[in-house]
Amino acid sequence: MDTTTAFGKIVGIIKPFVKNTTAFGTATDGTRIIEDLGVNSARLVDIILAFEDEFGIEVDDESADRVRTLGDAVQMILQKTAPAH
Amino acid sequence: MLSSKERLGLRVQEAVSQALILLTYFSLEGWLRFRRYRISARRRTRAEFAALVGDERGPLLICANHLTLVDSLLIQWALAPGWRLFVRPAWFTWNLADKHNITKNVFVRILGYLGKCVPVLRKGPPEEARRTLDKVAFLLSRGQSVLVFPEGRRSRVGRVDTENFTYGIGRIVQETPSARVLCVFARGLGQREYGNYPHPGETFFVRLKRCAPTTSFRGMRGDRDLATQIVGHLSEMEQEYFENAILDR
Repeated sequence: MDTTTAFGKIVGIIKPFVKNTTAFGTATDGTRIIEDLGVNSARLVDIILAFEDEFGIEVDDESADRVRTLGDAVQMILQKTAPAH
Repeated sequence: MLSSKERLGLRVQEAVSQALILLTYFSLEGWLRFRRYRISARRRTRAEFAALVGDERGPLLICANHLTLVDSLLIQWALAPGWRLFVRPAWFTWNLADKHNITKNVFVRILGYLGKCVPVLRKGPPEEARRTLDKVAFLLSRGQSVLVFPEGRRSRVGRVDTENFTYGIGRIVQETPSARVLCVFARGLGQREYGNYPHPGETFFVRLKRCAPTTSFRGMRGDRDLATQIVGHLSEMEQEYFENAILDR
C-alpha cells in the first residue's frame, strides 16, 4: 500500500469523528488529530480500532500513544502492513 | 509503572487522610448540610451499601454517573457515615479529581488531599493518563476503594452519556480483575442538566447495583467493551430512576 492510499483511507475513517471541518478540508500529514481536527481524545481509541479492522493490523498501546498527526497514522499503518522480510 | 516516590506519596496521603478522616468527613458533611442537601432514603442506601460490599475485603471500584462538581462528596456521604469510615478505612474512597478544580486555592487543595483525591490532568498527554491508571491500579492493589466517573466528565447531555464516554474504566477493570464493581446512580431530583453545584436544598436520589463486567477481548477493544457495559448499567439505572423516582420522594 502506498502513502496516498493509506492517507485516503485514514481520512475516511477519521471523518465521522471530526469537529473542525474547515481544518479537515485542508488536512495534511502534519495535521494534528485532536488539536487541529477537534477529535475527542476519547474517540481516538475508536479510530485506532477502526484502523485495526480496516487494515487487518494490531495496534499496541505504545504505538497508539504515538499517533498524534495524520502522518503518524500513515507511518504506523505502512509499517504494520509492510511485508516481513 | 509508578516510581517508588509516587507510591510513597500515595501511602502517606492514605495515612494522613485516614488519621484525619473524622475532621474531613464532618467538615464536608457540615458544608453539605449548610447547603441543605439531602439524600433520599439515606439510611436505606447506607444499609444497602454495607450489604452489597459486606465484609469482603479487597479492591472496590465504584462507578458513578457525573453531573456536578460535588458528586463524589454526595456519594461518599450517601454510602457511609463518618464513624464507619473511621473503622473501615477502605470504604473511604479515593477520587479522581480534575486537577484544575482541586488546585484553585490552598483550602480546596488541602481538602482534596485529605479527601483522598488523585489530581487528574484532563485532556493531558497519553503518558499522563497512563500514570493516573497506574495510580488507580496501585490503590486497588492495596485493597482500597476508588470512585470513578466512567463518562470521563460531567455529562453534557444531562443524562448518562452513552455516546461520548471514555474507556479508561475498562482499562482499570482489565488491570485489576479482582476488583468488585459497584455502580452508583445519583441525581438531584431537581437536576435538569450538568452544572457546578446543585441548588441549595436539593434532594438526591441514590441507587446502587453490583455488576460484573466481562469481556473476551483484550487491549483497547476490551477497554471499550467493559466501559460500554458499565456505562450501560448506569444508563439502565437512570432509566429506572426516571420511571420510578417519584415514588422515592
